[in-house]
Formats: sequence, structure tokens, C-alpha cells
Amino acid sequence: MANQIAGQLDKGPLVNGQRVDKRKGSGISISKYISYLFLIILCVIWIVPVVFGITTSFRSQTEVVSSGFRMFPKEWILENYVAILENTSTAPILRWLMNSLFIATMHTLLVVIVISITGYGYSRMKFKGRDTLFFTLLGISFFPGVVNLIPSYKIIDALGWVNTSWAMVIPGLAGMGNLFLVRQFMNGIPKELDESAHVDGAGHFRIYASIIVPLMKPILIVCGLFSFTGSWNDFLWPVIVFTDVDKMPVTAGLLLLQDIYGNYRMIGQLMGSAILAIIPTLLLFLFAQKYFVQSINLNSGIKG
Amino acid sequence: MKKKLNLAPVFFVGPHVILFVVFILLPTIYGIYASFTKWNLMNDPVWVGFDNYKTILFDTKSTFHTQFNNGLKNTLIFVALSVPLLIVLPLLIAVALEHKKVKGKSLIQAILYVPGLISISAGALIWLLLFNKQLGMVGNVFGSDISWPTHQPYAWILIIIITIWGGVGGNLIIYRASISGVAQDLYESAEMDGAGPIRRFASITLPSIRFPLIYTFVMTTAGAFNVFGQPLMMTDGGPRQSTHVLMMYIRQLAFGNGESIAGMASAMAVLLGLVILLISALQYYVMNRNAA
Repeated sequence: MANQIAGQLDKGPLVNGQRVDKRKGSGISISKYISYLFLIILCVIWIVPVVFGITTSFRSQTEVVSSGFRMFPKEWILENYVAILENTSTAPILRWLMNSLFIATMHTLLVVIVISITGYGYSRMKFKGRDTLFFTLLGISFFPGVVNLIPSYKIIDALGWVNTSWAMVIPGLAGMGNLFLVRQFMNGIPKELDESAHVDGAGHFRIYASIIVPLMKPILIVCGLFSFTGSWNDFLWPVIVFTDVDKMPVTAGLLLLQDIYGNYRMIGQLMGSAILAIIPTLLLFLFAQKYFVQSINLNSGIKG
Repeated sequence: MKKKLNLAPVFFVGPHVILFVVFILLPTIYGIYASFTKWNLMNDPVWVGFDNYKTILFDTKSTFHTQFNNGLKNTLIFVALSVPLLIVLPLLIAVALEHKKVKGKSLIQAILYVPGLISISAGALIWLLLFNKQLGMVGNVFGSDISWPTHQPYAWILIIIITIWGGVGGNLIIYRASISGVAQDLYESAEMDGAGPIRRFASITLPSIRFPLIYTFVMTTAGAFNVFGQPLMMTDGGPRQSTHVLMMYIRQLAFGNGESIAGMASAMAVLLGLVILLISALQYYVMNRNAA
């Protein structure tokens, strides 16, 4: 959306600004080239590591160790991927990916359910102390998370969730950030819609499911996408709650890999594993790019 | 009907309140309590008053004192190096992308944003390869024969590079969205009056995106204080503990090998939390006042 508007504005002022353009023609083209140069250099720096990682995952061990630097392998081979997929004991990458997929999907689904139901409560229901409750919780949630890290482990332990996916699926549902966005968004939806449904005798759950949720789709998709990528990429927490190699998600697994493959200099296999861990979130971005970009639009619109 | 109305909110709001109490409120209170105890995570904590804090802050003979000082120092170095870059660079990119004649804006934005979706552990492995002395690019292309992760200041440079690489995209999108919201006729009339690009940036763009700037500055700083993954993956705290950040010490004391020293770790966590709160409040106060 923002791009479209910006595009229209790009074309708009040309008529009025023609005189200015002529006078400042050279200035504009210099700043254009500086902008281009700056952006292209950055893009190259941003891409090169990923490309080099990908190409290295297709290199033979002898080539990795022997020859000097070359961006693309002399010979493209699949052995690294075969090897990492066959290693199901010390580094079961497929298992880790499945664990991550289960954790991220489950977490996302539950986040969407919890924030939409709770958001409905804080935005649409009338009860005593509603806003006080909401803002008290919001205020508490600003307290730095470092402090609750150690006791959180203790709670997960007491629930018997150490080394289980629930340790990563459930605690994040308590967060206030997404809920804040959802409540804000819901407050922007005219109340007449559900009030008339109320008069017609529809209960809260009916109104929530058939009127509010469909209207909330954009923000729920956005919160869902960020929940997915956030939980897929989480690092500190899984490193703490998982010690069982078979149960951990891929981010924690890669930390182990550094010791397993890194010590034996099996760089090709190390890169292959890293690339496999990246693919899911990249695919998600590819298909839902506009939501990733739009979301923060909403974000900044509210916070700013 | 009336009864139903009174009970319904419990079903809608109640579950989240329970989650909040169990996973945020209780652990926070317990974390503060634990900082005043001797605790090994297994048995009940034993109250020791301010002993942990005294040891950490004043007992110069204690390793906890040394660890805390070193960890806080390294965390502050990381904050001081990364935060300015994570604000200024995305701002420059956003401005360059606003240039009317630049094409392929969404592609460039996508390329710069994507590393933000790559986990620290995967990103670190890739960058370590690139900076590997024998196999990577720096040695073979740029002729550097130093092992970056084990020598200063290269270890810090490496950590900052991967942080910037992964962190630019988020703020970039916030700045782009806010800059595109600035009324275009402001720029046009300034241009008519002969204001150059730097002048236009300083007196139109910056004041117009004041709130997103404050917001990103505060959030980026608070996030940077929690740094953990980059030094753990890239340097493992080395060389000679010079990139060992506070979060790594906290994890090591509470969950490392050997008996857990969770009480001491909790006290360090509370102190780090206080530093974050203090700095956030200060930033907000100063920036809001200057802007008004």
C-alpha cells in the first residue's frame, strides 16, 4: 500500500516540478548515483554470505579444504545433503526440522486463537476494571524479560515440559505485544456491526466467530507470521530448555553442529544444515512478503 | 441473560490472564525474590538478604564480581557499537530508497530485510565460513591472515557485522513506512525555496518521524542489552573473555555444567534488568524533551 502511494506521488509532482527538475537536473542525477551505489554495495554484502553458504553446501570435502576461494564450486555435488540426512544419531537434522515445524505451527495457531479471543474480551465486552486490567498487564510486561528467565525454566520443569515442544509453544502465548496490536485494531472496527447482531440475539461467541474474526484477518495473519518466524528462530530459550538431542528445534541443534561437524572441518555439511534451517522462513517471506512489510506499517502507525 | 453477560468475560479474557500470571508475573516476582537467596534450582532457595548484590558489586576478590564487571562492560561495548549503526544505517537506506529515480525498491528492501528472518545460529555459521582464515573470503580474497573470531578488535567487528546484517531490515521498514507518510508537498515547497537534500532531511524528515525514531531507539537499545546468540556462536566469548557478555554469564551460572548458582545469576539478571529500565527511561525522557 505504502509503495503504491509513494509511486503515485512520484508521478504526481512532475508537472509542477518540471522547472525545478531542469534547474537541478545534475544535482538529482548525482544523488541518484550515490543512492544507487550505496544500495547496491549493501545488497551485495547482504547476499554474498548466503550465496557462498549455499554454494559451499554443494562442494566436495576435498574442494572445500584444498582450493582457494571461489564463489561457485568446480563440481556441484549432493553428497553433503545425503550425509546430513543420513546422520540420524548425533545430528538428526530432519528430526530437528520437524520439531521446529511442530513448535512454530502449534505456537502460531494458538497465538492467533488466544489473541483474537482475548482481544475480543478487552475490546468488545463490558466488565468492571477492563481497561485497568489490560494496562496493568501491559505495564508489567514492559519489565525486562531477563529477570523471569531462570524462574521460567523452573516453572517449565515443574510442569514436566523440559525437553518437550510445549516448553516453546506455550509460554510465548502470555505476551502482550500482539494482544496490544489486536485490541487496537479491533477498537477501530465500528461497534454498530456487532451491536446490531447483539440486538438480534446473537451471543458473544457468535459475534466473535462470524463478525469479528473475518474482519480481523489482516492483523491475525501478520501476528501469525511473526509468531511463526519468531518461534522458528528463537535461540536463547531452546538452548536452555533442551538437552535431549532428539527433542530440540533446529536453532539449538545448529549450536551442537558447530562442535560435531566444525571440529572435523566438514564445512559442506555444516553449510547444508544451516541452509536447510533457513529455507522455511525464506519460503514464508517469499509467499507473504506484503504482510511482513505491511505489518510493521501497522506497528509504527500505532506506536508512532 | 444478565448472568451470562457477567460470566462471559471470564471465558474470553480469563485464559490469557492465567497464562500471563503463570509465565510472566510469577516468574518475574520469583526472579526478584531469588536474587536475594542462595539457590541451586533444585532445593528451596535460602534467604540471604543483599549478600548476592554485595558480592557482585563490591567484593573485588570474588569471581562473580569480576564476571559481572566484565559481562556488563562487554554488553555495554556491544550496545555502544551496534545501536547507532542499527539506527543510522536503516535511516540512510530509507532515505536512499525514497529517491524518486531509484528503481527496484521492493527488491532492494527484500534483500536487506531477509537476513532478519534467518536464525542467529544459521547466520553465524554462514558468516564464520566467510571469515574462515583458510576457506573463506577474507583470507583468500582480501589477504587477511588473521583468525577473526580469536583476535581483537576483529572479534567485535565480526559480531557487529552479523548483528547489523540481521538487524537492519526491521528498523528499515518502520522508517520507510513513516517517511512515506510525510506529506510530499512539504518537500516540494522546501525544494522550491532552494533547500538541498541534507537540509530537507534535517528539517522535514527527521522531525516528522520523531516518534518512530524514539520508539526504535528505545527498543533497539533494550534488545541489544539482551545480546547472547551472536557472541556465543561467533566467538564463544573469546578471545580471553573479551566478548563474553552478561547474558552468557547468567546462563552459565544458572544452567551451566556443575552446580547451579541460580541465586547469584538472578541477582545479575535483576541488575541487568535495572540497567535496561534506567537507560530506556533516560532515552525516552531526553528524546521527548528535546523534541518538544
